[in-house]
Amino acid sequence: MKVWAFSESPSAANEAAAAASGLASSSGGSYAVVGLDDGTGLAGEEKLVLKSASPLLTSPEAAAGALALAAKEAKPDLILVGSTRNGKEIAARLAVKMGWPCASDVFGVTLAGASLHGKRNVFAGKLIAEVAVPIPCVATLKVGSYPGLPASPTAGTPKDVGQVATKVRVVGRQEKKKGTVDLKGAKLIVAAGRGVKKKEDLAIISDLASELGGAVGCSRPLSSDMGWLPEEHHIGLTGISVHPDLYLAVGISGQLQHVAGIKDSKVIAAVNNDKSAPIFEVSDYGVLGDLYAVIPAIMKELKARHR
Amino acid sequence: MKIAVCVKHAVDEAELKVDSSGSPLLAGAASKMSTFDKNAVEEALRLKAAHAGDVTIITVGPTEAKKSMKEALAMGADKGVLVTADPMSIDTRGTAELLAAVIKKGGPYDVVLCSEGSSDVYSGLVPPMLGELLGLPYFGYVRKVEVPGQSARVERALEDSIDVLEAPLPFVASVVSEINEPRYPTLIQIMQAGKKPMEEISPDVLLSGSKPAPTLFTSMKAQAMARKKVVFEGAPEETARKLVDALSGEGVLPR
Repeated sequence: MKVWAFSESPSAANEAAAAASGLASSSGGSYAVVGLDDGTGLAGEEKLVLKSASPLLTSPEAAAGALALAAKEAKPDLILVGSTRNGKEIAARLAVKMGWPCASDVFGVTLAGASLHGKRNVFAGKLIAEVAVPIPCVATLKVGSYPGLPASPTAGTPKDVGQVATKVRVVGRQEKKKGTVDLKGAKLIVAAGRGVKKKEDLAIISDLASELGGAVGCSRPLSSDMGWLPEEHHIGLTGISVHPDLYLAVGISGQLQHVAGIKDSKVIAAVNNDKSAPIFEVSDYGVLGDLYAVIPAIMKELKARHR
Repeated sequence: MKIAVCVKHAVDEAELKVDSSGSPLLAGAASKMSTFDKNAVEEALRLKAAHAGDVTIITVGPTEAKKSMKEALAMGADKGVLVTADPMSIDTRGTAELLAAVIKKGGPYDVVLCSEGSSDVYSGLVPPMLGELLGLPYFGYVRKVEVPGQSARVERALEDSIDVLEAPLPFVASVVSEINEPRYPTLIQIMQAGKKPMEEISPDVLLSGSKPAPTLFTSMKAQAMARKKVVFEGAPEETARKLVDALSGEGVLPR
């Protein structure tokens, strides 16, 4: 069994490498890590670095084309792709180009018979499904589901695929401001929901977050519908998945789509004035009460203890 | 402008119940139009309003999927095509193949829209597979679409950047839910939706020959969320103190 681990993002490629390494050793096979940059950030003994005159890093269409060309030549049996937004497009296109089946967002992958087996969240994380994909296949790996292997000193073998035909042109890229919000890596998150009555009141939430040295997140209505916070604060199925030590949900009812993004938190706490709010069902600790009274009281309590 | 929107009739994840062993009770479960598909329908209606044309709703699913189709027609779409297929025996690739066949048969379309993923399985694979199978330009995770002439300019919402892309018509795109706020149909629109044309097609008419072995779910189980579920009630000062005590005890507060 020959397994490829690929991602346009070196950190996701190294997570895929961890999964690929496990599959390779269980099948007595080998794995290679395939990347798009110079390869120095990648893990593994065998590294393949795709080179092209086309913009592989910004165009998933070009990256899928390059990967398919390389795969048709080297003939891996299984290609694991980091499940970023671009990664899913690359995997789906690659599967069609190779004529292979594809699964997405899997974790806990194993081999059994002639299939790749894995788990994936379905129904907004209410259920876990076992999925079986006949090999050869493509599968995208849920980001953060494997600890990434460390970068290795091995030099990457360049593989020049020349020009890749693309139908879409990338004409601009606006990087999101780094450092303003890093929810994915945050140890502590205070998140606001619809219980917050107006935009100005978000100050209560951000004050508490800074008192605790944490980041500010929100549920979908606040970013997508009200536009009170930029989209990168949106935690949930269609936003970011987080895994802090403490997730404090303030005025968040706890719809499934939101909960799907906070499952991996170590401790979940909630403040809500609705006793029947589903958030209490998925919390370790809850306070039933008006956030406009409870949050200032928590601030006071924290300040008193710090003194 | 001829627009096609692919929608999915999905089991309502919020209403889905599990039995005592944790297995989902899928038979007879409440179902609805996949949540984010409404954003794709809405965007199609906005393009239609700006450029004139018509909107066709395409879905692959059981007969009950007509419910979702009617909802999209009530929102303002003009006609619907249902490919009758058992959703449990078909995977993302199979769905994309059927959608591509319907689009080729009824087309050419200038614009094909999908949502970023379905609210039940949320695989996110069908839209890019569709773009690839149709051999058309594809934009994923779009938060803004402009069609000033014979080409489209879109903004894609990625994890660390907003990318701007261009391609000539026709194109396929998946939209994110932040792109718009879906409209609610009026009572009159809901009543009139039943009179709009709805075509049913058997999958055998669309595709023949051997298909690749599908990716299948072999089992589904309720996800255990082992949480303590302690709820403090009372005066704010008291509940705040109890909460801070509890969180300190867990060692998750900064010292």
